[in-house]
Amino acid sequence: MIRKIFSLLVFLSLLLTTMAQNADQVFKAAGSPVNPKVPISWNRYNDHAGITDICRKIAKAHPDLAKLESIGKSYEGRDIWVLTVTDFKSGSPDQKPGMYIDGNIHSNEVQGAEFALYTAWYLTETFHDTRFIKELLADKVFYIVPSINPDGRDSYFHAPNTGSSPRSGVIPVDNDRDGLVDEDGYDDLDGDNEILMMRRKNPRGRYRVDPTDPRRMIQVGVDEVGEYELLGLEGKDNDGDGLVNEDGYTFQYDPNRDWGWGWQPNYIQGGAYKYPFSLPENRAVMEFVMKHPNIAAAQSYHNAGGMILRGPGDPTDQVTYNPADVRVYDAIAQKGEELIPGYKYLVVHKDLYPAYGGELDWFYGGRGVYTYSNELWTPFLFFNKPATRGAQDESSFLFDRWLLFKDAFVDWHEFDHPQYGKIEIGGFKKNFGRAHPGFLLESDAHRNMSFTIYHAYHTPKLVIDSLQETNLGGGLKKNHGYRFEYTFNAYPFEP
Amino acid sequence: MRKICLFVLSALLIGVAGKSQGNYSDFARQSSRLQELARSHPKYAQLKSLAKTSGNRDIWLLTLGAANADSRPAIAIAGGVEGNNPLSTELVIGFAEELLRDIGSDSVRQLLEKTTFYLFPNMSPDAMEQYFAKLQYERTGNARSTDDDRDGKSDEDGMEDLDGDGKITFMRIASPVGEFLLHPDDNRVLVKADPAKPQVGKYLLMQEGIDNDKDGKWNEDGEGGVAFNKNMSFKHPSFTPGAGEFPISEIENRAMLDFLFERFNVYAVVNFSSHNNLSQPNTFNQAQANAPVISGWQDADVKVNGTVSEVYNKIIKQKDAPKSPNPGGDFQSWAYFHYNRFAFSTPGWWVPKTKPDSTKQEKAFTQEDPVANYLRWAGQNGVENYFTPWKKINHPDFPNQEVEVGGVHPFVMHTPPYQLTKDIVRKHKQFVVELAGMQPELDLLNLKTEKLGQGITRVTVDVANLGLLPSHTKLGERSYWIKRILVTAGLAKGQEIISGRARHTLGALPGQSSETISWLIKGSGILTLEAGSPTTGTKSIKVSL
Repeated sequence: MIRKIFSLLVFLSLLLTTMAQNADQVFKAAGSPVNPKVPISWNRYNDHAGITDICRKIAKAHPDLAKLESIGKSYEGRDIWVLTVTDFKSGSPDQKPGMYIDGNIHSNEVQGAEFALYTAWYLTETFHDTRFIKELLADKVFYIVPSINPDGRDSYFHAPNTGSSPRSGVIPVDNDRDGLVDEDGYDDLDGDNEILMMRRKNPRGRYRVDPTDPRRMIQVGVDEVGEYELLGLEGKDNDGDGLVNEDGYTFQYDPNRDWGWGWQPNYIQGGAYKYPFSLPENRAVMEFVMKHPNIAAAQSYHNAGGMILRGPGDPTDQVTYNPADVRVYDAIAQKGEELIPGYKYLVVHKDLYPAYGGELDWFYGGRGVYTYSNELWTPFLFFNKPATRGAQDESSFLFDRWLLFKDAFVDWHEFDHPQYGKIEIGGFKKNFGRAHPGFLLESDAHRNMSFTIYHAYHTPKLVIDSLQETNLGGGLKKNHGYRFEYTFNAYPFEP
Repeated sequence: MRKICLFVLSALLIGVAGKSQGNYSDFARQSSRLQELARSHPKYAQLKSLAKTSGNRDIWLLTLGAANADSRPAIAIAGGVEGNNPLSTELVIGFAEELLRDIGSDSVRQLLEKTTFYLFPNMSPDAMEQYFAKLQYERTGNARSTDDDRDGKSDEDGMEDLDGDGKITFMRIASPVGEFLLHPDDNRVLVKADPAKPQVGKYLLMQEGIDNDKDGKWNEDGEGGVAFNKNMSFKHPSFTPGAGEFPISEIENRAMLDFLFERFNVYAVVNFSSHNNLSQPNTFNQAQANAPVISGWQDADVKVNGTVSEVYNKIIKQKDAPKSPNPGGDFQSWAYFHYNRFAFSTPGWWVPKTKPDSTKQEKAFTQEDPVANYLRWAGQNGVENYFTPWKKINHPDFPNQEVEVGGVHPFVMHTPPYQLTKDIVRKHKQFVVELAGMQPELDLLNLKTEKLGQGITRVTVDVANLGLLPSHTKLGERSYWIKRILVTAGLAKGQEIISGRARHTLGALPGQSSETISWLIKGSGILTLEAGSPTTGTKSIKVSL
């Protein structure tokens, strides 16, 4: 009995802490929900259990606006969640043009999940007091899949990694083809759940310490001698073959080379798996898309670099990307460049590299859906001026020093390495460099969301503009129906 | 118990009936022949259903090999990649029956101790049943319902048997703007008019049927489906009828690929289909072989193809094979370009070029034509039931025009009369056995140990491939789905490698060639050297230092 009362109390206190603040205590900031039913902190990241929790809360708090379902299981058995967001009281969702949004196809490119979730949260929380969102959800449906790679996501957070690993999902592949799988990956030598850099004192080294910031290594000139050599990422030679970190789990395959348009095998397109949709997570997405022919627009969130990308990834695929469609792509993306400062509209094969079998090419080539991949986060956002992540650019160090108070960096510390002897380990943590720093996460999520809303708004809408009847005599009448395709030149975007 | 008795009895009856079989096997009979093989040779034949098609038929895999079959180098053999090709299925099942019939002989047992055969008798069981159906026509699509003409309706305009002969043949419609003419030497045959000559056409020619949906096209969206041989990933012909919505969209294709990608031991794929690189080997095309997206066989692999083709042509002496179809979504291209194994395909049989029979007052053709040649061959060889004479009918779509139905029967031009298959099966079995005889096989030769003082020994060995085939294809050197040859030096306690690697991998080792590897080892005792890969088998030797 006492235990029951106690658990009731615990429940009540939980209820109180999760309940919204009193409406009297808050004042609305323009463009944000003032007193959301589901309070969420948008300055941190969520693992798969965290995403699951948020999805459930949104669906529960807004039963008429959001429904949650699993579209399939990952390799390790995690659910791939889709939140269907629309005004369920207004028309059938299957009859509305659909905007599909996903994130995190690459394991380390985590913030796409938060951006996608932010969209679901924003649409549901602002529906009641923002006329434009109300009208939008009457006409359109959003299919939001925060992470299409939940195994990789959890692995990135919970296993030792860099900001760039793992890119791959977690199905083992014998990449060096010697019959052993993942026999020599990174090693978290100092046990801090980070894979950092290794350096060793060397009188003929090519690096020296920056006199203005002892954390930073500077490459010396060609006629200079440094004091340190860099030994690469934290690890050792696990299998005694003389190589360090040559077959780890961090690159088995690339989930974004597994899609059924222009697919090429791994000897042409590194990272391809067995055949299109041979990865269970992508297969689940494909099956969902095939069952929803109303999907008319799509957005996939990656990191990093501040890009709004369109296909083709295949340099020879210009036929598919025909001039009429490219005009539409251009117009939407140019608006995106305006809405998201620091982001540039680019074409994959031309501005990045050739990439066969990518998700955006299947959505467009295979299903006829205009699709963008945004590379989230850009060093431009450090000080709102051009900057890079390059080793010789000190912006990262300055930003970490003045705005993050050195929270993003693990100071160099000594370690006895089994092969290299006395070394030092240090460097930026995995949550810095490609993932947004906390205080910039919500702002950039909002800007990217506004781009997807602009995109969704311009999905087709058929209306009969006017109707005219002509009497042909002899009891015959002819109707002149003006069927009108709602493209963005027809009606300006005016919320 | 009674059920079991009945089952045994019916199995026996089927077995008896099989002996007097005079026709190709429908799916039920294919299954019972395979089950019979597995039942009577449990040590050497395992039958497994990899999947059920959308038409609810099994995709059978029959594995022939001694115990631990997956541990031995293997050849995969496929039939029915084209659903309109019952001969191909007969060739695969016949191979197994012929081989296992002689299981008492040492040579066959030794073969199955050395090589495993993964047999896929029929990759298009849904389509192939059309050969045996009441209405016979050449079908390649499976039981999936598809909208081939993309008009929003599926399977709404198929073919009709207008003359009631149980077969879909042709209809010719007299028309001043027709594209076809009668063949100058055989008026049963229509040939395309050549405006350059100039010739004026007199007939429209199309397959028997009605324009059911009144869209001005005939038979453009009939029953079924996606074709196995158009659904593979190399140059997938997207948005063409039968190709599927994307590569490997079908149950059949996935079932086979999921199996094969996990079989690193497969070194060659034999395929019975209209693609042909056995009677006529591939040639080297530098531009295609070096393109960013490779579409030509690598030089070294072309040479291997030439050798294997020599072997084939010595056994199968038939010349003048029809031209291979262009690649696109086909299994043969996939097996080389995307599975990176040696891939060999042959139609197995084709109509020989037939000379005029002077006793029948036949003359040499003034115009070459495959149908005219077939009709001449069929007539000379006593084939029955292969042509329906043209007969006038009333066609609802051509109310005031002369329409005749008739022509050569479906299948017959690439499907020999069943009594010929025995010999074709026997010869192709012989070819596959000889191909297995060329299998890559590793050995460690010319072992040398030299004492260098201070307890150090130089150990040198040649890793040799004794087989005629390379350890794997040149193209496969670059794929994750091919294992390299791994050479290891296993150290005894107290031994240490001074120079050389404990684990060493090699690329494609050509047939009848070797690579020398050496180590400096400190210490005494037994050193174990081993070389192996799934396609070559593994050899090891012990060296006393």
